[in-house]
Amino acid sequence: MVEKETTVGAQEGLHARPAAQFVKTAKGFSSEIVIVKGDKEANAKSSMKIMTLAAKKGDEIVIRAEGEDAQEAVNALVELISQDEH
Amino acid sequence: MDTEAKGRIAGVAASEGVAVGPVFVHARRELEPERENISEDKVEEELARFQSAVEAVVQKLSETAERLRESGSEKEAGIFDAHVEMAEDPEFHSEVEERVRNLTSPEAAVLAVGEEFAGMFAEMEDEYMAARADDVRDVASQVAADLMGSKAAGLEMLKEPSVILARNLAPSDTVRIPKGMALGFVVAEGSKTSHVSIMARSFAIPAVVGVGAALEEAFEAEVVALDGGEGYAVADPDHDTVVEFERKQEAITEEQAVLAEFKHVEARTRDGQRIEVAANIGSAEEAESALEWGAEGVGLFRTEFLFMERPELPSEEEQYGAYRKVAEAFGERPVIIRTLDVGGDKDLPGVDQPEEENPFLGWRGIRMCLDVPELFKPQLRAILRAASHGNLRIMFPMIVDTVELHAAKELIQECRRELENEGTQFGEVDIGVMVETPAAAIRAADLAPEVSFFSIGTNDLVQYTLAADRGNERLRRLQSAEHPAVLDLIGRTCKAAREAGIWVGVCGETAGEAAMIPKLIELGVTELSMSAPSIPRAKKVLSEL
Repeated sequence: MVEKETTVGAQEGLHARPAAQFVKTAKGFSSEIVIVKGDKEANAKSSMKIMTLAAKKGDEIVIRAEGEDAQEAVNALVELISQDEH
Repeated sequence: MDTEAKGRIAGVAASEGVAVGPVFVHARRELEPERENISEDKVEEELARFQSAVEAVVQKLSETAERLRESGSEKEAGIFDAHVEMAEDPEFHSEVEERVRNLTSPEAAVLAVGEEFAGMFAEMEDEYMAARADDVRDVASQVAADLMGSKAAGLEMLKEPSVILARNLAPSDTVRIPKGMALGFVVAEGSKTSHVSIMARSFAIPAVVGVGAALEEAFEAEVVALDGGEGYAVADPDHDTVVEFERKQEAITEEQAVLAEFKHVEARTRDGQRIEVAANIGSAEEAESALEWGAEGVGLFRTEFLFMERPELPSEEEQYGAYRKVAEAFGERPVIIRTLDVGGDKDLPGVDQPEEENPFLGWRGIRMCLDVPELFKPQLRAILRAASHGNLRIMFPMIVDTVELHAAKELIQECRRELENEGTQFGEVDIGVMVETPAAAIRAADLAPEVSFFSIGTNDLVQYTLAADRGNERLRRLQSAEHPAVLDLIGRTCKAAREAGIWVGVCGETAGEAAMIPKLIELGVTELSMSAPSIPRAKKVLSEL
């Protein structure tokens, strides 16, 4: 299992469009990936679950992955989510 | 027993024309699962049915997105991309599958899980996200409907031209209807000025609205006939009724043939006075069809469509593109762009709108725009820039007095200076006021010297003058511009305009009503703006004055 902490960078948080982008990237990996905010967890491949996390800019979140490409998945998603622009 | 009343459903005559056709029920909220449970040996079979229902819905949604994208409606296409994503959501699937394994029927499981997800969205603080709850319900209902082979389904599923029955229809609903598939609308809620009515008139689709609970009588019908000019529908019409409707259709076709000759003539009264007959449009896409109906300009371009149902405000660039498209389509002919007119009844992305008890008497239209320059200025700049590609005019809604008018004109000046300093190309625009508050009509003489034109918005002027909500079905008597109090205000506005040497138009529903046109012209109105299909008749009425 690989996990890494990061901060949401996008101005609008994990709103509809950034969430869709995030899910698209997550679906490119075979690993099981979750995104954790506080005591809530969401499947990174489910845009509905991700949107309901209501993650805002500056929120601390953790990306956790398990599987063959876990390391690559975590790196790619952390980079995506920490960017200022989406 | 009165046999004539059997199956007859009375409502508001919202859009002229008659139709007889098969029923399509768009009533997703009432969808009930046929079975609650399944037997243990059917689990795998039911899971497979669920999968194929999802695939069928995803395919339909993708086709709709594709169709919208091809017709240039990128924003609406995005709604359906999001719906595809919801239908394919792995969490949604695993929760449904779990329930089916516990012997819940797939349709009951889909509806229940959809409701749970919708609940999560509805609780979110962000208004845009909270509004996604309806999208989730919508997608879940479509999957459930497919599983049940039900008639109640998403509008994009329409396969044959049908009469559409619905509790209400929002813009996001009507945009899904495949072209040519709506023969007519019978709607439980609404009035002559609600969205579905305006849309039906723009596309010349017959509609009866505000039929109330009587709508349910027609749910089980195979065929419905409706007369949108008289304002009634008939569920499962008998042979005589069908014949009667065929005669009506023939009469309408004949009238249309006569009116067609008036489409492209220049509108004049019999004694030669020139009256401009223009179209009201609600999106850039409607410009072409307005021209085909014979529009001599656009008297009211509602810009709200650019701002609604989206996660962020439209950029100046996007607005510029939409305004320029209409300006270019109309060339030398004038296009009046009404600046944003929304209030507490509609959510704007990124604008903090407090909940109001009376949104129509609240922080809306020009009031909100003046308070939020970051909302207003991009729109003004986009209009000024687009004006270099055609003959654009700006009209401010909800103006009450010169204080607001001065502030709005000052902002336009500021935008001009900015554009000049940036070296950005822009054009000149006439500035006008939409007279729709009694205050503006009463003190029209104060406003007239400061503008190039008035356009009377009769829908709101009637509502504000007679203190009668325009959506309230019980106040029909008080929803007409023929009321003497309203006619007085129109006359007063025309008099002030005449003295200041400016022209007056009318851009409410009244402008297209044959009985009202002579009165308006007599009072001094020289421009009439209406839903495009009403244009040929208005030109004919004028030619006989």
